[in-house]
Amino acid sequence: MVRSRPAAPAAGAGTAAELGLLASAIAGRPLEVAAAEPGQQPWTDGAVVFLDDQASRPDRIRTVAVQAALLGAGSLGPEILGALGRRRAVARRYLAVEGHRALAVHEAVLPPSVRTLADRMLAGRSTSPASSLAIATSGEVIADPPAVFGVIRPRDVRGHVVRAGVPGRDDPSPTHLPRREREQAVRELDDGEETGIDGAFDQFNPIGGGGAVGRLLQKLLGSSRSAGGGQPGADDATHRTRHGRRAAPGAAVSTAAAALPDEVDAIRRRGTTYPEWNVYQRRYRHGWCTVTEAEPEARNAELAVPGDVRALRQPLARLGTELERRHRQLQGDELDIDATVDARVQLAAGSAPDEAIFIDSVRRRRELSVLVLLDVSGSAGEPSPAGGCVHDHQRAAATALTLALHDLGDRVALYGFRSQGRSAVHVVPVKRFDDRADALMLRRLGSLTPGAYTRLGAAIRHGASVLEVEGGTARRLLVVLSDGFAYDHGYDGRYGEADARRALAEARRRGTACLCLSVAADADAEALRRVFGTAAHAVIPAVEQLRGTVGPLFRSALRLADVQRRVSQRKERTRERLQVERRRA
Amino acid sequence: MTDRVRPYYVPVGNEEQVFRAAFRQSLSVLLKGPTGCGKTRFVEAMAYDLGRPLVTVACHDDLTTADLVGRYLLQGGDTTWMDGPLTRAVREGAICYLDEIVEARQDTTVVLHPLSDHRRQLPIDRLGITLEAAPGFCLVVSYNPGYQSVLKDLKDSTRQRMVVIELDFPPSDVEEKVIAHEGGVDHEAAARLVRLGMAIRRLETAGLREVASTRVLIAAGRLVAEGLGMRDAARAAIAGPLTDDPVVTAGLFQMIDAYLADEES
Repeated sequence: MVRSRPAAPAAGAGTAAELGLLASAIAGRPLEVAAAEPGQQPWTDGAVVFLDDQASRPDRIRTVAVQAALLGAGSLGPEILGALGRRRAVARRYLAVEGHRALAVHEAVLPPSVRTLADRMLAGRSTSPASSLAIATSGEVIADPPAVFGVIRPRDVRGHVVRAGVPGRDDPSPTHLPRREREQAVRELDDGEETGIDGAFDQFNPIGGGGAVGRLLQKLLGSSRSAGGGQPGADDATHRTRHGRRAAPGAAVSTAAAALPDEVDAIRRRGTTYPEWNVYQRRYRHGWCTVTEAEPEARNAELAVPGDVRALRQPLARLGTELERRHRQLQGDELDIDATVDARVQLAAGSAPDEAIFIDSVRRRRELSVLVLLDVSGSAGEPSPAGGCVHDHQRAAATALTLALHDLGDRVALYGFRSQGRSAVHVVPVKRFDDRADALMLRRLGSLTPGAYTRLGAAIRHGASVLEVEGGTARRLLVVLSDGFAYDHGYDGRYGEADARRALAEARRRGTACLCLSVAADADAEALRRVFGTAAHAVIPAVEQLRGTVGPLFRSALRLADVQRRVSQRKERTRERLQVERRRA
Repeated sequence: MTDRVRPYYVPVGNEEQVFRAAFRQSLSVLLKGPTGCGKTRFVEAMAYDLGRPLVTVACHDDLTTADLVGRYLLQGGDTTWMDGPLTRAVREGAICYLDEIVEARQDTTVVLHPLSDHRRQLPIDRLGITLEAAPGFCLVVSYNPGYQSVLKDLKDSTRQRMVVIELDFPPSDVEEKVIAHEGGVDHEAAARLVRLGMAIRRLETAGLREVASTRVLIAAGRLVAEGLGMRDAARAAIAGPLTDDPVVTAGLFQMIDAYLADEES
């Protein structure tokens, strides 16, 4: 018996593949159609209908309809296939009866040319696959099925046919025919031994919908973020300002200094130095820490298992989409009465009135980039109160967050960090902003093993700078996933806390929101809270509870960052104005 | 408006009785059902039966409260208040039909709350007044649970103020009648279109974003009534709107050929 399956032709290339939709429609589930090997009669393996490419078009449609109807009517269930086993003659007789029954079941959705094929008399005699089988095993004379019916190859039908979801749990015990009936079966039909269902299951594959239809499904349902030009994440209208046209006419808008791409590459190669805050002397130690980006390993370790991504999507989707009422706009839903009065006054005074007299309420676009910093220091390897080690939980949380944000179309990156003294702070870019969220990322995550120490301040400074340079959006969020407080050579207690707090303050002043999550860890959360602030740190006992926490936590962090960014912009503007005035004076 | 003919609607279940009862009891109605299954037509028919004017608003995600309630406009040197469709319906006692309510912004749907429960009031803070709904006012919203994104679900506080009527594509005999009547084709052609439509609806899992609705089948029927061949009509009115993907289109064309081509082809 030939088991190999001819490769399905490329979708859309041959007419056989194009009949896939028709087959899927009749069967009521995804099916593919492909050409059978030359000389073979049409058949199906449960996922693909193989047909004779040389047959006429109406015949091909009939064949597809019959085979798909068989699958749709449950005619190829495991118990039937088990009973058919290797008995080809029975299989043929069964098809002659059951084929008509299956067609009759799907009558309402069959193409007109196929409806004439169904023999209602024959179909009326059977009410179920089992009764068709009983007729087939009886001694009665049954005409061979028409050639367009094809054949049933019981041993080649794969596990797809089984609808029960989980293999093993509700192990479909072969409900064979009652013994008495079987004994009545004509002996000479019995040309093979009862093989049971084992053969049908050796290729069990619980995930259906592969192949052309599956690919199609993926294509249609998949996220559409792969393509698309322009600056990612930044789809805010650029000509709109919060304060309308009157605000700061001619004010220079300065953005954070952006590093050149070359510069970024150099940093990646050589490592980059960051200052550290010495709380005892109340000054920075310049060039104190060296951060290097280690190439992430992607051993053939198991893929990291994300938490429930779907559950996270909803709270995260609401981020950054609040409504804003903007006054003095050129267009809008309502009249800004104050602006209107001003305009009338200007007109009455003989000057050209300002036309920006509307209030517009706009939903802010997301325009968000997020960098997740995952603590992979030795302490994460400790056992968690929730079972397993802390690292497993935090990794699951990081993965879920990354995937959820990625799904929502945000710019997101995921870095691991650990350190061994100030000259060896390592960060591992598991997913850079431009990397895809794919299996490679999951494998890299799976390869992360906890070890060494935590120099939190340097990691935050590096994360924030990567976020600013590569994030590409105005709103930025740094999420630190850590189990407890930092410890490294010469970096502990009050010194470490003060430095980390300083690093956060620097990032926040530049408008980057920062927060920290501790998942399934009972470590030193108190210190983290002191560093990040109570509003920007949360302890979550299990990954599943992430859902309730991330929404409010992220939102308040972003709001705080917005305020801080605005304050610093205002300071900037004031300083510029003062400079201008001083120069004039 | 009473001299017009009744919009063609064939009831499938008890939806007409439920609607009438809800209308008499001044309850708001939520219509659930897939795109193109006849929600709008149902409301039109009911408005005709009950003799109330119908105000329809197609909701979209930039629909603001001002779009519904009204706004000040500039006229010459003065501002004048202009009622929105909802306010007009409240004043006149019309049936106000908000199509695809989920598409509207969440802050917008909040104005419906005092209207849709026992208060039946519409506060207009710009004018500083609260309108009592005139007798005969009825709020009807529609909602398509399958097609709208997961993120946009109807808020519980909104749903619980409504009486729900679920509609679906009609059974094949009713749908045949509808297509024959609305499309202006004979019953044989209508039956073929319905068969094709039902086959495509079984494809829901194969990733078409929408299935062939009664609406697209009617459109195909109307093209046929204009003298177009069945296949050409179906390609233009059914396959085209459902997908842009070349592979799916090819598959749909095959299905159309299988269902609508003449027997001998």
